[in-house]
Amino acid sequence: MPMKLAKKLQSAEIPTASMADIAFLLIIFFMVTAVFSATKGLEFKLPKQEQQQESESEEATFIKVATDGSVTVDCRPMDPSEILDYLEPKLARNPEKPVILYTDPYAQYQAMISVYDVLGSAEQERGFKVKNISVPTQTEVAEYIELFGFNPFESQCEG
Amino acid sequence: MRFARSRRSEALIPTASMADIAFLLIIFFMVTTVHEVDRTSVNLPVAKIREEAEKGAAVVVMTRDPVGELVYKFSDGENMSAQVGGPEDVYLEASRLTYADPQKQFVLKADGSIHFEKVDELLDRMRKGNVQNVLLLTQQQTEGG
Repeated sequence: MPMKLAKKLQSAEIPTASMADIAFLLIIFFMVTAVFSATKGLEFKLPKQEQQQESESEEATFIKVATDGSVTVDCRPMDPSEILDYLEPKLARNPEKPVILYTDPYAQYQAMISVYDVLGSAEQERGFKVKNISVPTQTEVAEYIELFGFNPFESQCEG
Repeated sequence: MRFARSRRSEALIPTASMADIAFLLIIFFMVTTVHEVDRTSVNLPVAKIREEAEKGAAVVVMTRDPVGELVYKFSDGENMSAQVGGPEDVYLEASRLTYADPQKQFVLKADGSIHFEKVDELLDRMRKGNVQNVLLLTQQQTEGG
């Protein structure tokens, strides 16, 4: 008589007991490797090499950021929050009016950014755009000194 | 009179949905994680107006080390940033990138406390390297501060 072996049927199951452990391990990995990324800032257009911006200082509004971060606009001491009030009527008459933003070499970068930010916010806050912002570089300043024998940006308000 | 004994229920924490929540969190982290080419901690200047940087933009880092010396780093936007010698190296790297793509955006990640003279020197070298499109990286200005 043939012997019969009892077959035990195994149910088809995917073992999911460790699923939560693996998932939490992955979460911890992502949390540890994730960093707070700063990817926003102020747009700044550099002029092309051959096309240096020539802003006639008589027509331009001259903003100077001093070493201590204080601001003068056309030789008048001004709080950065007042700059747009001053510029609005001028730009209403001439929207292309150049604005020269000269920062003292020993002023903090933050001081320049604060003024540049105010100029950039004109469109959003007041509905007009400061289209023509010129930021003279030290190379340009050196060229002016070579040409005139003095720094025209430093001596703008003298006399 | 005899009261029926109250049946004690077992103290259990329901863990059935644990895996679902965990996977939901994983998907969130996977979606929000971005490939960063620079992780240098820099005290960025504060500004209100902020535009988003283009994807794949080159990154130029300018900060101070603990001793107070200026440190420059550069990334082409694809590889992790590496330390470079100074503005002259940035000029060489920038020239190489703008030769291939004249409209390539360069993100300047500079410490807000650095003298403008140094930032200006770097921007001047970048201009010589035919860079036109720069984004001055800032941090959000919070209300009242």
